[in-house]
Amino acid sequence: MIETEGNAKGASVPVKAIIRGVKNEAPGVRTFLIEKSGPPAQPPCLPAARPGQFNMLGYPGVGEAPISFSVLHPEKTTEGRNQKNQKNLFGHTVRAAGRVTGFLSGFVEGDEVFLRGPFGRGWPLEEARGKHLLLLTGGLGLAPLKPVIEMAPTLGASGVTLLHGAREPRDIIFKTELARWKSEGAIEIELTVDNPEDNPDKGQKQQPKIHSGLITELIRPLRIDPSETVAFICGPEIMMRFAARELLIKGMAGSGIYVSVERRMSCGTGHCGHCQIGPWFTCKDGPVFSYTQLKGLPDVIL
Amino acid sequence: MTGASASQKDYKTVIPGDVFALWVDRLGEQYTLTGPVGGGVTARFEDISRFAQMDLDYQSTMLPPGKRYLFEPAEEILSYDISGESNIPGNNRETGGKQQKISVNLPGLPAGRRALIGVHPCDVNAILYLDKVFLRGPYIDPFYTARRENTFIIALNCKSVTDLCFCHLLGAGPYLKARAGYDMLLTDMGRGKGFLVELVSEKARELFDIFSSGRPPEEKDLSAMREAEASLLKGFKKNLDMAGLQNALLSRPDHHALTETSDSRCLSCSNCVMVCPTCFCHNVREETGLSLSRGGKSRIKKIRRWDACQDISFAKVHGGNFRAKRHARLRQFVFHKLDYEGQLGTKGTVGCGRCIRWCPTGIDLTEIAMAMMK
Ligand SMILES: Cc1cc2nc3c(=O)[nH]c(=O)nc-3n(C[C@H](O)[C@H](O)[C@H](O)COP(=O)(O)OP(=O)(O)OC[C@H]3O[C@@H](n4cnc5c(N)ncnc54)[C@H](O)[C@@H]3O)c2cc1C
Ligand code: SF4
Ligand code: FES
Repeated sequence: MIETEGNAKGASVPVKAIIRGVKNEAPGVRTFLIEKSGPPAQPPCLPAARPGQFNMLGYPGVGEAPISFSVLHPEKTTEGRNQKNQKNLFGHTVRAAGRVTGFLSGFVEGDEVFLRGPFGRGWPLEEARGKHLLLLTGGLGLAPLKPVIEMAPTLGASGVTLLHGAREPRDIIFKTELARWKSEGAIEIELTVDNPEDNPDKGQKQQPKIHSGLITELIRPLRIDPSETVAFICGPEIMMRFAARELLIKGMAGSGIYVSVERRMSCGTGHCGHCQIGPWFTCKDGPVFSYTQLKGLPDVIL
Repeated sequence: MTGASASQKDYKTVIPGDVFALWVDRLGEQYTLTGPVGGGVTARFEDISRFAQMDLDYQSTMLPPGKRYLFEPAEEILSYDISGESNIPGNNRETGGKQQKISVNLPGLPAGRRALIGVHPCDVNAILYLDKVFLRGPYIDPFYTARRENTFIIALNCKSVTDLCFCHLLGAGPYLKARAGYDMLLTDMGRGKGFLVELVSEKARELFDIFSSGRPPEEKDLSAMREAEASLLKGFKKNLDMAGLQNALLSRPDHHALTETSDSRCLSCSNCVMVCPTCFCHNVREETGLSLSRGGKSRIKKIRRWDACQDISFAKVHGGNFRAKRHARLRQFVFHKLDYEGQLGTKGTVGCGRCIRWCPTGIDLTEIAMAMMK
């Protein structure tokens, strides 16, 4: 007998799911509310999925792309609130970037999608207990942290601050959610854009208010107690580099700074090798890593 | 198991060569026999019908037997059948919610039984390495598992070393030290003296029904083996402080020995990766049948193929490439073999020397490492 250790079933076999809702977030970006069909024991073993994990989302003949969970609490979304079968509902926010994501972005309600997952390690939520949780996001990087924000009251954090940057005001995703989170007051939110000129809502009262400039300019004035703070960062790698460096300058340890990185993926199961960073596999050891784990490895921009 | 053989505490026996050959021929009734044919460093593993076809004095093969037969170069892992009203997602509203009927099919798991005969110690260690990739969590690979289950591995201690071998620096050869994870170990006792056969697995003890026709090894056999091993160890040309490389190469990622070698000589041809017995990387592609006609049936196959970190698109993502530079790709290969021990708890090389032998421009990872450590 050959000794094996791990999950043999399902990881490489996609299951069908149905699109239950589509929401436009920003130009080229849509959120899909998805219902898993098929027997409950079949992967993806939702609702076991944790914030920060991802599915391989695809369609036969088109291919697959790794996409993070942006909805794990359907009852907290406008679209999900009225759906039945809430425990099988989850969501992904997709930017039409290329071949696969371009195809996925065309889905409408009732369409079938194929997926495998959940894969990877999520955000280390337990690290936030008793500490101030700092969320730094850029562009679509807000998507994998949305479920963290939605469960913020249950994390036992002493406070939660979200600093989010986007290219232009119209690129800010989850605008309704941002307004609601702001009004609920459970977390502090600051938004910034690189280019404030091109604002379609110009003249209207912005809620929340939008700064202009890079996210680092929002980090700089922050007063933090470095040993009592934990940071989760997600965005383009170059943005994560500068954001993490601001925090290091403030005295935070690399082990308290977590980033979610993107790498080429083919399997999601730790076998194909495409996602390797130094000794790590992004799909199974990440995509969330501490800054310390990645610092100094080749082919890393951090 | 007879009482006599069970009492042989190490399951070791010395068997005349012709008797052993007959047993192998008989094994062919239950297993496809696969062994080295053609000698020297360009032997190859092939399916054979008789023991006599093999050249057990071979030195190396281009493709490693473990990777070649346990992890197929190309393999269908899944297929989709599409039938019914052909409807492209996104058009759902127009067609009133009709959907393509898509079924997901799993191919049967490989079932044929194969005996891999004459596998050198480095290549056995490479199989143990692939086991860590495909058999240990969080997910295990069903195809590799099935083949591993159906493959009977007869290892063979080396009788000569080549100028490019460095297995001795890794404890991966020239004599096999591992005592699990394969089935039998042969040591050729020299002209006319037969084989010392060690039965390592339960399966071997079951199948090797001629155990008691051999004689128990005597002290003089064992000391002859020790001497043979010692004299082989003197024949190695390469030397490198392997233990000292971990994290040390990593601390010099842009060392000129690496960048200059790759920029001036590496062709990114990927030979080194393809012939490597531990390189496990692959890519999964979907291949579409040509009949996507309305109402017709078509089949889409998911095929996985060996892939290489030397290929320029290996680490490409939308909007960027993490290893666009040639030296970044060669570094990935060299560091994965010689430094990143943390990945699977062991070095990624077994010292077989294939990547050096088959590199068209003679790039040698041990020379790069040595220059980097100066
Ligand atoms: C952990 C993780 C989480 C992510 N989460 C999200 C998310 O929540 N939302 C989101 O929008 N994006 C997310 N992404 C990014 C998303 O996966 C990429 O945008 C997506 O993979 C792009 O694929 P594409 O086919 O649309 O783009 P393309 O640019 O067409 O292809 C992307 C990559 O695949 C390669 N490729 C594609 N086809 C071929 C081929 N035939 N031959 C060779 N190479 C090919 C390309 O070279 C390129 O490297 C995430 C990525 C990761 C790793
Ligand atoms: S075999 Fe040689 S030339 Fe080809 S990719 Fe490897 S190191 Fe470069
Ligand atoms: S995506 Fe295949 S190993 Fe990580």
